[in-house]
Amino acid sequence: MSAVSIWEKMLNIDRRWIFLSIGVVSIVPFFINFGMPVVTTDEVEGIFDYMDELGPENAIFVSFDFAPGTQAENMPMAIGVIRHALHNNVPVFMTANYPLHHGMMLAAMEYILNPNTIGYYQDVPFDEWSDLRESGIVARDDLEEAWEGQGNQLPEGALGWAFEGRDYAMLGYAPVFNLVILGMTSSIQTQYPVDTHGNPTSEMPMLQEHKNLREVDMALSCSGSAACVWWVTYAREKIGLPIAFGVTAVMATDYFPYIQTGQVIGQMGGLRGAAEYEVLLAENGITPSTDKAFTGMDVQSAAHILIILFIIMGNIAYFAGGFHKQKTLKGRG
Amino acid sequence: MKRTVPLMIVMVGGILMIIQYFIPHQISQTIFEYYTDWAPIIVAFALVLGVGSLTRIHSHKIKRRAQNWPYSWAVLIPLYTMPFLAHIWPQSLGGGMDQPSIYHFLFMHIQVPIQATMFSMLAFYIASAAFRAFRAKSALATVLLIAAVIVMLGQVPIGDLLGKWLPSTGLWILRYPNLAAKRAIMLGVGFGMLATNLKIIFGVERNWLGGAGK
Amino acid sequence: MYETLGIWAGAFFTLAIYSFLYKENPIYRLAEHLVVGISAGYGMAVTYEITLKPRLIEPLLSGDHWVLIIPGILGILYITRFIPGIAWLSRYPIAFYMGTSMGVAFPLTMKASVLRQLEGAMVPLFQEGMPWYTSLGNVVMILGTLAALIYFFFSKPHKGLFFGTGSKIGIWIIMLGFGATFGFTVMGRISLLIGRVQYLLGDWLHLIE
Repeated sequence: MSAVSIWEKMLNIDRRWIFLSIGVVSIVPFFINFGMPVVTTDEVEGIFDYMDELGPENAIFVSFDFAPGTQAENMPMAIGVIRHALHNNVPVFMTANYPLHHGMMLAAMEYILNPNTIGYYQDVPFDEWSDLRESGIVARDDLEEAWEGQGNQLPEGALGWAFEGRDYAMLGYAPVFNLVILGMTSSIQTQYPVDTHGNPTSEMPMLQEHKNLREVDMALSCSGSAACVWWVTYAREKIGLPIAFGVTAVMATDYFPYIQTGQVIGQMGGLRGAAEYEVLLAENGITPSTDKAFTGMDVQSAAHILIILFIIMGNIAYFAGGFHKQKTLKGRG
Repeated sequence: MKRTVPLMIVMVGGILMIIQYFIPHQISQTIFEYYTDWAPIIVAFALVLGVGSLTRIHSHKIKRRAQNWPYSWAVLIPLYTMPFLAHIWPQSLGGGMDQPSIYHFLFMHIQVPIQATMFSMLAFYIASAAFRAFRAKSALATVLLIAAVIVMLGQVPIGDLLGKWLPSTGLWILRYPNLAAKRAIMLGVGFGMLATNLKIIFGVERNWLGGAGK
Repeated sequence: MYETLGIWAGAFFTLAIYSFLYKENPIYRLAEHLVVGISAGYGMAVTYEITLKPRLIEPLLSGDHWVLIIPGILGILYITRFIPGIAWLSRYPIAFYMGTSMGVAFPLTMKASVLRQLEGAMVPLFQEGMPWYTSLGNVVMILGTLAALIYFFFSKPHKGLFFGTGSKIGIWIIMLGFGATFGFTVMGRISLLIGRVQYLLGDWLHLIE
């Protein structure tokens, strides 16, 4: 009976032990809370600095082009930029390029407008301020003053009001989204006659002031697929709309050419990109603290160290065991 | 009628939309606006095709009592229940926890967790692959692994603690050699897409016709 | 109550999917099939409520936009794919969409993926005040792009000074690029797991903030 070397035993280890080790490494750092700092990069600062210059007279699009599968990376990006916009009173149009992504848009706003979220915004649905709208009070500052003048008080813990139709509009999903982007270069209202809640977009002050993409100042595509490229191809190249990317880490390396040519103003890549944006928001007093993306970076560090150790150990076992000289590797799969 | 007319529609439509891009005249813009208004409506019906195919596949499985046929009910029941529920509670399409509904529950608390978890399983598989498959068998593979390790460490906070050179080198790799490789790929894909577009417009590429009606 | 029930349901199905890591089981299969049905059903509901109803059905019923009958009929032709005798009619809306979208994409793709990228590749190799690593990077970027393009050109054998050496340099640059992509891919996969762990430990068990 031939002795099975330690290297062979190592290489043939049941993969469930590897799964278990990744599971443990992904859980334990949450309880230790190292709080290692996240250094921001030019790519993310590009988006932040651009957003910070915008105000109530501008408008942005946030396109939810990601599915529930990648929400861990993309959702914090979208939430960060929307909170930045709400802080600066920049109207936000929200779209989605696929039905499931429409649900992600709803989930993001549920989180931002939820009183249980730290640093939430108090929602004012479209119908609730219709009397002010009908009496012509639509400018942001006047609207807030009139709304509070009616006896509405900002709840404790809320960072501000979010008026539907003035501060945000959830336009939602439309099929063939690349053509919808093209269509919005002429008219947003034609592509979206009503929003997700059935409110007529023609009655929204933010749409009356920004009728098409030429009158919008930036579009952020939070994407887990190549949909972000549609924004560059159909909006940036057609009308010169500044585009920002919030993409998954898997895709992030592919779009550095767009950053270098200036076709996108910046990119948040993966959870790290989202964490950088959260750090910038917190450092500039826009949010009270960082959020889930930043908290996850400690775990990311630990997991990366483990993966690198696996690569090194696997290679040591492979070469030390002489398997590079064999044609096939013995043992169970 | 079956092949020639569709091919002609592709050619005329394709050439028209290419020319339209270069003509700022009002007629050209009107054509463009009608097109962008109608195309989403037309393509929305393609969803019916997808739903029909799904229904056909799973109803056959149930009829034939194929392997794992009871699970096909788990596909068909929500497939038709969701639009029915959305019709009853249309406000639930707008979301909001203050308007709870079965429709919202099925999406937010079943669909989203399942799909998110399915994607997250890849983390376990990549860890297994890191141990069992990522081998520095050649100089090129070694370069790939070294670049990967530098970038991986540079992207996490611990990289900054191990040494400033790590994130700086990682960023340099991303902004220069990675950019060069990806740009070359992007150019190749771009040329390929343009060639494919022209092949479809001029009828050289006809696979999209399929076998329907020959 | 609704939210608590929802989080417990989410946690149950999360663990159901993770149970596959140990062994395949009926609960995993059920979850796998449910996700297909719910996503297709959700897609149907959203497409009808957000697109077909406000952009086709309501304008047609109002009587003011009869021209919309044209896209309506073209759309209905898609469904003929299920009727064997007239399935060829489904080629008409496909042809309309294919031709026009190819045409619309052509000049914009040329601009975004080709012309702008070629423009972006023309950077100075050295300028006064430029740091050495930027200058080196620009050299790598220009030569690397050319070399990688040579590598991907398969119509000529990779021999000689131009194609041979060029493609050798190209593959090294490509390996650096793919190494970076691999590093980011690992990061991306771990991030998705982190999201789920945050959900289970935070939203479900309330063990973390």
